[in-house]
Amino acid sequence: MKQETTYCTICRKPLGEHGRCGYCDSAANDWKLHDWRPLLTLALLIVLGFSFTSLVVSSFHEKEVALAAEYYGKGSRALDEKRPAEAVDALETALAFSHDDFQSQLKLTDALLASGATSEAHAQLQFFLDQHPHNALINRKMARLEARNKHVDEAVNYYQNAIEGEWPEGMDPLAQRIATRFEAAEYLISQGRNEKAESTLLELASVLRTTSPEQGRLASLFLKNGDPARAVSVYQAQLDVKKNDAAAILGAAQASFAAGNYPAARHYLAELKSETAESRALLDQLDRMENLDPFAQSATGQIRAQRTMAAFRIALERMAACGVPFAQAMTHRAQSTNIKDPALWSGFAKWAEQLSPMMTERKLRGRDDVIESTMRFAFQAEMTAQKQCGAPTPNDQALLLLARERLGVQQ
Amino acid sequence: MNSRRGDYLPQTPVRRKYFDTLRRILGPSGLVSIREEQFFLILAIAIGILAGFCVVLFRVAIGAARIWLLGSSMHPSVPRVVLVPAVMGVFIAIVAVRFFPRVRGSGVNQTKGALYIYDGYIAGETVIGKFFLSALAIGSGHSLGPEDPSLQIGAGIASALGRWLKLSKERLRLVAPVGAAAGVAAAFNAPITAVLFVIEEVIGRWTAGILGAVVLSAISSVVVERWFMGDQPLFRVPVYHLDHPAELLVYAVLGVTGGIASLVFVKVIKNIRPRLRRLPQWSQYLQPGVAGLLIGFIAIWYPQVMGAGYEWMDLAMHNRFPWQVLGIIVGLKMLSTALSFATGTPGGLFAPVLFMGAMLGASVAMLEQQLLPAITVPVGAYALVGMGALFAGILRAPMTSVFMILEVSGNYSIILPVIICNTISYLISRGFQEVPLFDLLSRQDGLDLPSLEEEREHEILRVEDAMHPVLGRALLGDETIASARGIAASIEGTHFLVSLGEGRWSVVSRETLINPMHDDCSPVRVLVRARVPRLYQDQSLDVALRFLRDRPMLPVVHRGNFDLLMGVVSVQDILRAYRKSGLAEPETVEVF
Repeated sequence: MKQETTYCTICRKPLGEHGRCGYCDSAANDWKLHDWRPLLTLALLIVLGFSFTSLVVSSFHEKEVALAAEYYGKGSRALDEKRPAEAVDALETALAFSHDDFQSQLKLTDALLASGATSEAHAQLQFFLDQHPHNALINRKMARLEARNKHVDEAVNYYQNAIEGEWPEGMDPLAQRIATRFEAAEYLISQGRNEKAESTLLELASVLRTTSPEQGRLASLFLKNGDPARAVSVYQAQLDVKKNDAAAILGAAQASFAAGNYPAARHYLAELKSETAESRALLDQLDRMENLDPFAQSATGQIRAQRTMAAFRIALERMAACGVPFAQAMTHRAQSTNIKDPALWSGFAKWAEQLSPMMTERKLRGRDDVIESTMRFAFQAEMTAQKQCGAPTPNDQALLLLARERLGVQQ
Repeated sequence: MNSRRGDYLPQTPVRRKYFDTLRRILGPSGLVSIREEQFFLILAIAIGILAGFCVVLFRVAIGAARIWLLGSSMHPSVPRVVLVPAVMGVFIAIVAVRFFPRVRGSGVNQTKGALYIYDGYIAGETVIGKFFLSALAIGSGHSLGPEDPSLQIGAGIASALGRWLKLSKERLRLVAPVGAAAGVAAAFNAPITAVLFVIEEVIGRWTAGILGAVVLSAISSVVVERWFMGDQPLFRVPVYHLDHPAELLVYAVLGVTGGIASLVFVKVIKNIRPRLRRLPQWSQYLQPGVAGLLIGFIAIWYPQVMGAGYEWMDLAMHNRFPWQVLGIIVGLKMLSTALSFATGTPGGLFAPVLFMGAMLGASVAMLEQQLLPAITVPVGAYALVGMGALFAGILRAPMTSVFMILEVSGNYSIILPVIICNTISYLISRGFQEVPLFDLLSRQDGLDLPSLEEEREHEILRVEDAMHPVLGRALLGDETIASARGIAASIEGTHFLVSLGEGRWSVVSRETLINPMHDDCSPVRVLVRARVPRLYQDQSLDVALRFLRDRPMLPVVHRGNFDLLMGVVSVQDILRAYRKSGLAEPETVEVF
């Protein structure tokens, strides 16, 4: 379209000769704004445009927020109902409508993890971490993910960051830190990082109130981490507050048992008002150990001989189960002879062969040296079998515990 | 008109006085006046704000159309996926062909057309048609983006305002690119990118007069966009660090891949579009529908190909797809976009180009992660760099592509990979496809718009290319006319340069010099009528021509010593230089 040049662009009057305006004396191409009305009209247009746009955008934004909430709800429900793929789809849609919504983003990582998309979840969490490096919640999720990916050092670091980090509003930081410490301790124990686990548990012990119901969990973790003495003291502290706490009593008994303090374990078990499967099993184990211990001070010569013979028989049965031919012959058990270390077991077989003629009450009575040698044979055989032949029977277990007590050997 | 406005009010003396004062201030012969240059800057801000409103509304319209047509889920049901793009394609084609024929095609080229052919004119109905039909097309899943229409909507608003305000012809031409910058800035939420794109692709030159207006409009539209849509960037970009310079070599692979992909895409459009345009007229009503149907079938398995796809790009940046899937998506998106665009469905190429780049970048990154586990290959960074590589390779705007990635990522450390990849991709694309995509499209449409890339490539002829050395020496202003005549006798030529000292020069004709009326003992300077401007060797011949006017020659002097004569330039010398340079004739350049 061509610009009309026969009229003045300023006052809109027809142009005179030589292209000059006879009214305002502007040249045809001169352009001057002498009139503010266009500016006022522009301003009015902007105001109207702003109002209309605000109206439209706010109503559309409301719609988007509603849709985002709807899909977030759908995604959360699907996740709770173990439909992770559906949850991922719904949460992705929620994020398409409000792509800065932190809750949806976090939920999406959960859904991704649940659907097995760990690398995607990792990338998502890494992005959040870049944005919020001190966010404890993200660090904890990252720690869980790294733990799942078997990246122990990274997981430990993220757990530490989570413990030291800032918790989002609406979450009790103290409770969350305690929960994260517990989680970290459990993970460390499962990975055999006992020293680090111990320090985490000690930190927990210092922040947990004595009345806290989590004391039992703490004690059991001490026990799991190989510190039964501290476990006993935590259980005892719990019992000092609440005497008849059955779980604490049982825990104390188990911890005492693990610490090798069998009388204390019996004492705690005796305090239990009602028997449970666990307490029964523990008591049976204590009884088995007592029945196999020839070194107990209260045992007479006859009993010592009987217990030695029983231990010898149990050890032979264990060897027979491991496939040692001599033991199988002795115990009349025909099992597989698929033996792992024949040289080692042949030594045990010779040892058993030497001891075998002595295994009568009469010959053992008064022969502490033979009893000592027989029990040493039984302990060694059980320990070797534990390494090579799988899970022990309760009797084998009892012998192993006696071995630990007697020889000071860790199981 | 002013008097009429107040007629319906009771004319009390006080009120009449008030209105008279207001009329004096605001009326045609009021106290305040603004020149056009100043008003143009104010207008640029207004254009930016109004274009910002329109782009925001356009984005809302796309979102609403998407929800209305395909549903709110990112994974719509199969019947909708198949039917909606096809049905809407037919509807859009009918409305476009019948009522808005100009909405079909590239908004960039139409804005360039407004600048170079139509004196800044973009029809209002084109803007309206572009707004609604593009929103419907993108919302219904056609593989197109909102940036190109935003550019044209901005340019259209600016054109309408310019016509309403009866700006001068020169300003009216320039106002469309100002609006275009506002449209792109609001669409990308990136003002620098918009300014660069308009300067690089539409205007083609850096002039202070237009630059200020373009910057102001871009910034004001981005302010509006952020006011309504928030200031979050287009993508949630992962933090990126260049750990080792050797990583740049790995990025170069992406540059090569991006260059090849760009080339393939441009060739596909180049071959499909004219073939579809040659089909019978009635098929124009069906082509977008058929394209929509094909896209729908693809989207049953790969819904990522539908629409602009920004939400999917975001997911690709966060390792959400395996590299094989990403590779397939690149190919399918290329096909979908080529179909949508070549059939004349209204919408732009920017978003699909960025989409393909992001997917290609992420795909290359994930593949390299498997092949080179020792090297850090951040997928998000690769996706971003891939976007730049395809932008540079397809749209052939290398500067814009670099700054766009910087603005979108907000991370300066990504600049090295971006520059390397974009340069490689740009060079590959240019090496195997001489005509850039936008120029190709305009020529297919029968318009010969100036190719700014070709213009950039043209050798600028300078004074040193045309000047010739002085024969003998220049005359001195203080030497006698007799001496000068002696020198002139030994030299051929009708005119002689005269050095007047202190860098001043003049020219005297042989006729004047040998005129016996002048005293032999008088100095030459008495023959001189006026001084002539001096030139420097590095100045362009355009400048030299402007200075030469009807002068016979001009001195070319040293920039450090204005009395040191380096040569002489005349109009004949300049013409000879132009003849010698021998530019290619336009009709010899490849069109189809």
